[in-house]
Amino acid sequence: MKTLVLLSDARHPVSGRPAPTATELQAINLARGLADEVSGLHAGPDAEAARGALGHGLARLEHREIPAGHDPLPSLLAAIGSEAPDLVLAGRRAGAGAQTGLLPYRLAEALGWPIVADAVALAVDGGVLEVIQALPKGARRRWRLRLPAVVTVHPAAPAAASFALGTARKGQVGAAIGIPAPLDEPAMEERPYRPRPRLIASAAAGAGAAERLRAATQAAGPGGRVMVDPSPEEAAQAILDHLRAIGVLKPASGR
Amino acid sequence: MNAALGLSLVIVALAVLAAVEGARTARRWRIGRSARVDWRTGLAAIPKRYLVDVHHVVARDPYAARMHALAAGGLIAGSVLAALGLMPPLGHAHLFWGAVALAFLVALAGGAMVGRRRYPAKPARLSGGAFQRLPLLLAAYVGGALLVALDAASGLAGPLGWLGLAVAAAGGFGLVRQLADGPMRHALAGALHLAAHPRPGRFEGERATALIPADLDAPRLGVAVPADFAWNRLLGFDACIQCGRCEVACPAFAAGQPLNPKKLIQDLAGSFKAEPPTYAGSPYPQAPPVAGLGGPERPIVGAGALIHPDTLWSCTTCRACVEECPMMIEHVDAIVDLRRFQTMELAAVPAGAIPALSESRYAEEPGGRPLAARTDFAAGLPLPLIAAKGSCDVLLWLGSGAYELRHGRTLRALVELLRKAGIDYAVLGPEERDCGDLARRLGDEATFADLARANIATLSRYSFRRILTADPHALHVLRNEYPAFDGRYEVIHHSAFLDELAADGRLALAAAPAGRLAYHDPCYLGRYNGETDAPRRLLDRLGLERVEMERHGKRAMCCGGGGGAPVSDVAGERRIPDLRMAQVRAVGATTVAVACPQCAAMLEGVTGDVAEVRDLAELVLAAVEAAPVAQGAAR
Repeated sequence: MKTLVLLSDARHPVSGRPAPTATELQAINLARGLADEVSGLHAGPDAEAARGALGHGLARLEHREIPAGHDPLPSLLAAIGSEAPDLVLAGRRAGAGAQTGLLPYRLAEALGWPIVADAVALAVDGGVLEVIQALPKGARRRWRLRLPAVVTVHPAAPAAASFALGTARKGQVGAAIGIPAPLDEPAMEERPYRPRPRLIASAAAGAGAAERLRAATQAAGPGGRVMVDPSPEEAAQAILDHLRAIGVLKPASGR
Repeated sequence: MNAALGLSLVIVALAVLAAVEGARTARRWRIGRSARVDWRTGLAAIPKRYLVDVHHVVARDPYAARMHALAAGGLIAGSVLAALGLMPPLGHAHLFWGAVALAFLVALAGGAMVGRRRYPAKPARLSGGAFQRLPLLLAAYVGGALLVALDAASGLAGPLGWLGLAVAAAGGFGLVRQLADGPMRHALAGALHLAAHPRPGRFEGERATALIPADLDAPRLGVAVPADFAWNRLLGFDACIQCGRCEVACPAFAAGQPLNPKKLIQDLAGSFKAEPPTYAGSPYPQAPPVAGLGGPERPIVGAGALIHPDTLWSCTTCRACVEECPMMIEHVDAIVDLRRFQTMELAAVPAGAIPALSESRYAEEPGGRPLAARTDFAAGLPLPLIAAKGSCDVLLWLGSGAYELRHGRTLRALVELLRKAGIDYAVLGPEERDCGDLARRLGDEATFADLARANIATLSRYSFRRILTADPHALHVLRNEYPAFDGRYEVIHHSAFLDELAADGRLALAAAPAGRLAYHDPCYLGRYNGETDAPRRLLDRLGLERVEMERHGKRAMCCGGGGGAPVSDVAGERRIPDLRMAQVRAVGATTVAVACPQCAAMLEGVTGDVAEVRDLAELVLAAVEAAPVAQGAAR
């Protein structure tokens, strides 16, 4: 059983100092329940934050050096190809940068492996991985899948181990040049977050003060239409009409 | 051949046996790591250290002091004299044997006091087992020897002398047998511990309370097995006489948490022996079971070892046990050494302490709060940054309490007082990192060292005369523990500083009646830094009715807030601050004056019949505000 934990070049959310991100450390913790020795993998310009994970139970760190702003995916794929892990674990999203949380999905797609998001517990039995997945409101779902697989870890997973200097000193770092992969997508614009004003329901726009207040303070009702025992065609049509009305689907082209 | 000559020969034989047993005991300490010991100074200083420093502690229990003086003094004097009886002119002198009889009579009186303390009922703090047999052996040896000496002094040479000799030989043999693993070990190990003490500064008027930095390049961090302790630490554990004074003083033991300093030292003393002597004292209250397996190269802490981790994490590092120990044992050093291994090698810290350690490491603040938010408490008050001023007279160190609403009120009062007294003060603001006290007490020396170096680098950029703080933990770390990292500062606690201002007339105080008031000494101010007078002087300037709790000054009881105990949160039967608040109420105080953010937080958390918790700065500010006219006149 060989487990690889992906580590990002994370920053502490308050201090901004290089610090491994919590879900990645929790991933190390989960991986240590499956195997004694857990390796980490980081692709980026420097591994300062990822190196910190060595003190939290990681035995070995593989660093693939790529220029800042480059896509880490090709380097990660190459490293995973040579390491041949049974299981790749990742946090929910990186601890710095765009933090889209898409990398594990892109990785799983490129590897052709299944992916399960938001794991809180892992167990392996004869090449079959059992994942307990966290769902909203404390619900849990059990998945069984054949290895290899990619799994991301939820913050509700057991707490990560604290930093231990002794473990950090014993940890090994293997560094190699990664595969440069400049991102060709347009640079994203960054703006400070601005809360949007709430739209007052149009029905209340011209009404009296009491109605406008009610519209502004009350949650919108369920709305919609109740169809009792409709035919499948009718039901499908109603769903399509609704999706078109709210703009999820394009308006029906001339039919 | 007469009985007296027989006694002399028996004593010489016992001395030889004792030397053999002593060598066997000493050989066991060799498994420990080497330690630098100044033997010449140490051995020469034993009488002074014994008669002054040890006596100072023992005499707090006058009965025990008299008991020990009589029993030990009489026994040693009588035995040495009786051995001298081998010299013919002395051995035939009736008067000489009269003197021997007198010495043994004194010893018998001491032995009787030992017995009276234990029979018919033994106090809970004293150990039973071999300790319960000690007065009987003592009585047999000195009583028998007394008979022999009386017999020789009166020139009877009758059967009574021979009977006495037999009893004395049996008792003496029993005592010598107790030398390696029984109560009498304290005599040998205690004397050598005074000579080879790991903190010799304690005997030279230093406080010597700073933790000793861990060697972060050592192959193993902290102490895992008995052989990791320095040999003179092992010697110190063997010096324990199980008097139980530490047990009575320990706040965690009182709260029913699984810690008993006496049993801890006994476990450590037994940990490096093939056959540890049985322990017959109070257990760790409510301790989870452990396997109880020891050995020089076996781990000390763990469910499969001798000491459960909960025992380790119950300690508040209040040093009450060290303060009370007549054998000068350093319990807190041992606990922190064991914690260092748990934290830095095993990452086995209590769940509640993990976030505090992680945030200390990555955000330089145990609560993970922005460093710039530390000054938020002062909203509306001028709090100049030293970065803007470049230099100041008094640098105000805010500490982690500044983030808490309760301590924020204290700091606001302190800043108001600084303004009223016209002090040139400034703060570090966002440049102030945590001092590292919490990380260090929790055994994370690596994070502490990082924080210490960062703070020292910051402080070295500015010029100031001294550092003022309202947090005794920060005071202790900055004043006593940063020097090992080359940061030397004059640090003053706000109690001493305000007392100084009041003495100079820079603060005019009016009596602000607040009912009966008791002052609760913070451990890190009183015991760690010996500052017990300034806060009391300051309070007395306020014209309040001040009463003392039974445990006060350097013997005060901890609030339960130190050493990371609040984050480690080991379950007990009671809460330490509840016990302390009950002591406040027991002396009828309606206000308890505190001088530490931890104490304020812990005591504020008590419910029910409570006294009002006020910091010294708040009380002084109330007194200053009560005297507006006088204030104007003073200016």
